[in-house]
Amino acid sequence: MTKSNHPLHVLSLIALLCTLIAACDSSDPTDPEKVDISNKKFSGGETTVFDATSHAFSTPAPNLSADGLAKHLEGDVEFEAVFVTVPAEVNPGLGPVYNNISCINCHARDGRGRAPTSGEKLTSMLFRVSLPNPNSDGTQGPVPVPGFGTQLNNRAIFGVPPEGTVTINYTEGEFTTSDGVKVHLRTPSYEIKDPYQPLPDNVEISPRVAPVVFGLGLLEAVPEATILALADEDDQDGDEISGKANYVWDVQKNGLSLGRFGWKANQPTLIQQVASAYHDDMGITTSLLPRESSDGQPQYDGRGDDPELSDEILDVVTFYVQTLAVPARRDLDDPVVQRGEELFESAGCSGCHIPTLETGALSEVPEVSNQTIYPYTDLLLHDMGPGLADNRPDFRASGSEWRTPPLWGIGLVKVVNGHTNFLHDGRARGLLEAVLWHGGEAEQSRDAVQGMSASDRNALIAFLESL
Amino acid sequence: MRFNQYLTKLFCGTLSALLVLSICLIGCSLTGCGSDDDDDDDAITTAAEEAEAFDASTTLNDFANGVVLATYTDLDNKAGELLGAVQALNAAPNQAHLELAQTAWKATRRPWEQSEAFLFGPVDTQGLDPALDSWPVNRVDLDGVLGSGQALTAASIDALEDTLKGFHTIEYLLFREGNQRKAEDITPRELEYLTATTENLKSKTAQLRNAWDPSGENYTGEVANAGDTSTIYQSQKDAMQEMVNGMIVIADEVANGKISDPFNEKDTTLVESQFSFNSISDFQDNIRGIQNVYMGKFTADGQGLNEFVNGADAGLDARFQTEVQTAIDTIGAIPDPFRDSITAQRAAVQAAIDAVSTVQQTLENDILKLVLDSNFE
Repeated sequence: MTKSNHPLHVLSLIALLCTLIAACDSSDPTDPEKVDISNKKFSGGETTVFDATSHAFSTPAPNLSADGLAKHLEGDVEFEAVFVTVPAEVNPGLGPVYNNISCINCHARDGRGRAPTSGEKLTSMLFRVSLPNPNSDGTQGPVPVPGFGTQLNNRAIFGVPPEGTVTINYTEGEFTTSDGVKVHLRTPSYEIKDPYQPLPDNVEISPRVAPVVFGLGLLEAVPEATILALADEDDQDGDEISGKANYVWDVQKNGLSLGRFGWKANQPTLIQQVASAYHDDMGITTSLLPRESSDGQPQYDGRGDDPELSDEILDVVTFYVQTLAVPARRDLDDPVVQRGEELFESAGCSGCHIPTLETGALSEVPEVSNQTIYPYTDLLLHDMGPGLADNRPDFRASGSEWRTPPLWGIGLVKVVNGHTNFLHDGRARGLLEAVLWHGGEAEQSRDAVQGMSASDRNALIAFLESL
Repeated sequence: MRFNQYLTKLFCGTLSALLVLSICLIGCSLTGCGSDDDDDDDAITTAAEEAEAFDASTTLNDFANGVVLATYTDLDNKAGELLGAVQALNAAPNQAHLELAQTAWKATRRPWEQSEAFLFGPVDTQGLDPALDSWPVNRVDLDGVLGSGQALTAASIDALEDTLKGFHTIEYLLFREGNQRKAEDITPRELEYLTATTENLKSKTAQLRNAWDPSGENYTGEVANAGDTSTIYQSQKDAMQEMVNGMIVIADEVANGKISDPFNEKDTTLVESQFSFNSISDFQDNIRGIQNVYMGKFTADGQGLNEFVNGADAGLDARFQTEVQTAIDTIGAIPDPFRDSITAQRAAVQAAIDAVSTVQQTLENDILKLVLDSNFE
């Protein structure tokens, strides 16, 4: 036959094969020997999409209703909307100071940002700033730097000074595994250049690359009790892993709430996360955060046109990030991947990167409610040691604590975003570098990886790439 | 169900065991189970042969080289011609030179719009799409820069926001609102800006071309060698899905965004390429981009998706080819300018939306499904 010849009954044969393979996937409840892998590929439960292309992170959840899909697509348009200087017919309200001009410019294809390479502009990474907090009881957020606030806006509309820019330098180092393999690790250092007014010497700087934005509705739907049950702040079980909940300012509640989103779990809800991104990153006000980020600074426009973004847009963009599909896992039947998964467990990685969680009910988003998901996070804070510390506390998160980031989709970052830079500041240039940067509570796991044979280390990476 | 469980226990293991089982079942269905009829052997042979996986390497290579790289090469060449025309306008700002530059802008726009059927890879990961095609133009800031003493070079333009450069900024300077631009109205400072921003655009199209060029960064190889040496696509199926996804995205964008948004809102500020009145040509070229990918043809006729689809379902192939051509023709039947037709020619615009939606539905429901249900080498 010619290679392009695909008669229909061959497709029927394939369909039959698929059915039988699917049947093989489901475990027999009467046979305890069988491992149930049927659900594991459905990383996002019923929101899972089978797509390993550049669209892997930017597909609507397949279980959206027709109305839900329409709302999601409205949000998609707004997520891509490019803002300009007021007055303008289309999308006014940018700035006066900001980090970027649209959501999608940082979260390209709803994916992961990275640090700029030499000579490149800062596009999908930003810097938080603050002054040391005299109150260390964890009930307060970062202390704003007068004239700068809590985020360095390195861009501005015409005629307005940006707050400054940042230069990044890397120091190359080397890490040697027990079998003598040398892994290059780069340590970043940051310097704020050209501040529009002098900065105090004791300013704290925290780098953040844009995180992926799919699967967030599922994480919002994880019951608070589930997260708190995973916490072990004083390590009472003696496994040297604590797990601490952050409690952060909730604008709508006007009080503290459990933090779930952001690198330090410093946002309690997705609507507040979205409103903060408009506010801090683009200088666009909403009803949640109606005061311009530059208010009180010389850049402030004093136009009195706030909020600049309607509640309708805030609502559809929030829904959009709540209902992006999670890409399915791949290669579950590969023995190397299966070996890597065992090692992920035995090295203790799964102590924080909890493989599976059950979601509860999220109001008005039935698509993400009551799902079995495989996010590989506990949504809790862990001390990652001095190597990764930003030394900038954020509510209960100390200067060396970070929220366990979800690992789902991590193997698809390359096809979606064209790079494999990981961690909060994008310093790791691959998964193994990212693993080897783990310290603090993860030191035992890191040591376990260091001590692995090359084939086991490769298996662990193959497992991560299957996520 | 009971039978299935039995089969599951019996044959869960290797794929080959399942293949044998499936073939047996087909044999059973043809001849009756339990029969020892000799015809069984024929059925097994035929089915095993036909289950052979499709080798998509030629399709992928012809797509990457013959469509993507060829389109970007044309884009870069046309951008060079546009730059020459703008430089001539700058040297001698008269109406004839303005019109030549306007024509060159429209000619450059064509391969770009066609390339929107494959907006993945370097055009996205290197930030080239926003640098080339951001909308809206930040006119407040543009006026600010024009009114300032700021140096205007390709490099200084590069440092500006994407809303102050690329196709639409050039379009605004060359055409102005409502395609009314007169050469004598263009200020020396605007000519300077126009020249610098066109140089910047040309550098971006060269970067894009180089990113795919086998003698450059060779993204072409990542696609053509999917499932083999590619570091991006683990399988040919993933790369084939990428091709189909690209077509779906632009069909959706044209049907439900570019045409529908201004049409539904009756809002001319939402119209793409509104300064030059080039909207209808833009939309047609978007669908021509789908046609190029599907047929594997930009200039040279390569192996397209059509040959893969035709092998499985010749009727689907014929239908889809007709639907694509119908969409191009139906968009072309909207009277120019599009900004007036969204209110004055509602039926013609609705017909175009419907025709492009049909293309989108066939891509989603039939062609993507076919790719996902097929085996590739």
